[in-house]
Amino acid sequence: MSESTFTVPVGPQHPALKEPENLTFSVDGERVVDVKIRLGYVHRGGEKAFEVRNYNQGLYLVERICGICAMAHQLCYANNIEALHGIMVPRRADYIRTVIAELERIHSHLLWVGVAGHEIGWDTLFMYTWRDREVVLDLMELATGNRVLHATNAIGGVKRDLTPEMISKISKGMKHLEERVRYYAAMIPQEKTIMKRTVGVGILKPQDAVDLCAVGPTLRASGIKRDVRRDDPYSAYDETPFDVITHGGCDVASRVLVRVGELFESIKIVNYASEHLPSGPIRVKVPINVPAGENVSLVEAPRGEDIHYCKSNGTDKPERYKVRAPTLANWASMATMLRGGYVADIPIVLAAIDPCMSCTDRMAFTDVSANKQWYWTIEELRRYSANWHGK
Amino acid sequence: MNIVKWSRIKSPWIFHFNAGGCNGCDIEILAALNPRYDIERFGMILRGSPRHADVLLCTGTVTRQIHDRLKRIYDQVPEPKFVMAFGNCACSGGVFQKCYNVHEGVDKVVPVDMYVPGCPPRPQAIIDGAVKLLGKLSKS
Amino acid sequence: MVEMARENEIVESLRAKLGKDLIEAKLQKPRRVFVTVTSSALPSTVQFLRDSHDMKHVSTITGVDQGTEIGVYFHLMGARQNADSREIVLSLKATTPKTDPRLPSITATIPGAVLYEREVHDMFGVIFEGHPDLSPLIVPDGWPASLYPLRKECTIDFIKGEISKVQGGAK
Repeated sequence: MSESTFTVPVGPQHPALKEPENLTFSVDGERVVDVKIRLGYVHRGGEKAFEVRNYNQGLYLVERICGICAMAHQLCYANNIEALHGIMVPRRADYIRTVIAELERIHSHLLWVGVAGHEIGWDTLFMYTWRDREVVLDLMELATGNRVLHATNAIGGVKRDLTPEMISKISKGMKHLEERVRYYAAMIPQEKTIMKRTVGVGILKPQDAVDLCAVGPTLRASGIKRDVRRDDPYSAYDETPFDVITHGGCDVASRVLVRVGELFESIKIVNYASEHLPSGPIRVKVPINVPAGENVSLVEAPRGEDIHYCKSNGTDKPERYKVRAPTLANWASMATMLRGGYVADIPIVLAAIDPCMSCTDRMAFTDVSANKQWYWTIEELRRYSANWHGK
Repeated sequence: MNIVKWSRIKSPWIFHFNAGGCNGCDIEILAALNPRYDIERFGMILRGSPRHADVLLCTGTVTRQIHDRLKRIYDQVPEPKFVMAFGNCACSGGVFQKCYNVHEGVDKVVPVDMYVPGCPPRPQAIIDGAVKLLGKLSKS
Repeated sequence: MVEMARENEIVESLRAKLGKDLIEAKLQKPRRVFVTVTSSALPSTVQFLRDSHDMKHVSTITGVDQGTEIGVYFHLMGARQNADSREIVLSLKATTPKTDPRLPSITATIPGAVLYEREVHDMFGVIFEGHPDLSPLIVPDGWPASLYPLRKECTIDFIKGEISKVQGGAK
């Protein structure tokens, strides 16, 4: 039988707590006993909105599900509608999409390493990585016209071509970033501060990761080798050589190392794809009405597997559009990672899944043995954590 | 000009609140803290608590779930306070207009002093917005 | 004719196992299979796909308003033949009447389905029998109890109207 140790994340029921928060913790002194998850704060009603917008308008809505993985969502959407039309985009467009998607992965992973550094009080790492990230944002702006939220996909291809001048700048940028990533790859495992705060923290055993359907770097940091770019290839990934990075540590440190490894792979892919751009058009025209049908589309966003389902009905608006962003796939595993760990480790474990927790998010705590209840914002929790870790 | 007002103009403290945004705006605000834009050289500092803030910087379209919390945070910011709606969603709902779970903009919940449009606005826009706000502060 | 040997193998084994409980099977294209089963056959089908075809991953669960019925798709992924081959996405569907929407939960077989079933419950009102905790996941506190936003009869104006009855005031 399986060796998994999870229990399904139901969490404590505490009617005394007047305002259910996103996360409700049961603790026993310094240890987390259980956690309940509730995710209402960013629900905007996006899926309903798709049904009253035409497919072109949907391109802009879908990007804004998450500003960090915007290109991934838009690519997944474009692929979905293109499949319903029964068309293939020009090969050159597939390659350009691959370049932009990997630039997005680089920006996202650098952002994440910086945020993780900030969580454990190491702001220098935050400043370094975000400064390097500006190189990627400059390249994004060059290639798509915007730093964040690029809108570079059309249904049928891409909107802008990559000129030889852009490719030359991209190549220079990648050389610079490769040096920087080598620096981080060498430095991070040596840094006792980081290792002390991340090794053995937030454990997710391989069997649990599989049973709880984790995705992305979180899954691969538990040694499971799954990546949509290889398992269900799209764009130019079927022709681009790259490795799927895994790590067996099952902890936050492994999640850091997987992302650092993926940075090297992304640089490789950007270089390969931009150097092997097929000639030809970048876009085909499609009619505004989409033939009736249904389709499932997946991409590997920086945070993991992104899946979209579309049901079309012959009109210019979808009958149903469903998005499951990668972060949601990892919330079920979150409870397992937190249970049994220290309260002081909550911020870094959360950051390892989702850097989108804003300062004002409050968490409810109940100490089962001391019989106390209180709320903490993430800021207050960070302060507790810093004091506890003796910084 | 009294000393409190002078110090506020020299060094406005900002509390950043995400009211249900996609994080596009939030990462550009964080980028403004970094070496290239460095808003701290203007004396602008991000604080961890609304009670120490002069400026409430809001991103996102204000979901129903976060509505009460935004009101509460606003009340915690001491007078005189200023509210900056950063990004199209915070200004007017952005692409999420007519969605069932949103208020279309921060000013549907609390009064706004400065609107910074963009999707997202660039880091330079925070600096621009904050400098204009300082101008407003010095006149108040 | 594109080769879909593995996809075909899976569908044929389901036909053999389920008989009349298999309502429809469609090999849409390589790596995309759509299968509709009776709701009672759902848990055993998921278990069979997990144990015999290595489909252990639920990517998500999608609810669709089909008029008098709610269709629920369980998007499963796996069935890799060897370490280097690709995976198959099998969308397993069951329908349930809107007047009394209930389906068996698959969380006993694939625990990772737990939040996706909660989301379908929030948006469509489907009760997943055997789910450990169907409390609201994404609708905000104070949401009217039988308001299921993704049902077609719940237009955006209708939803806003219902909310203001309960909460009074919000735009």
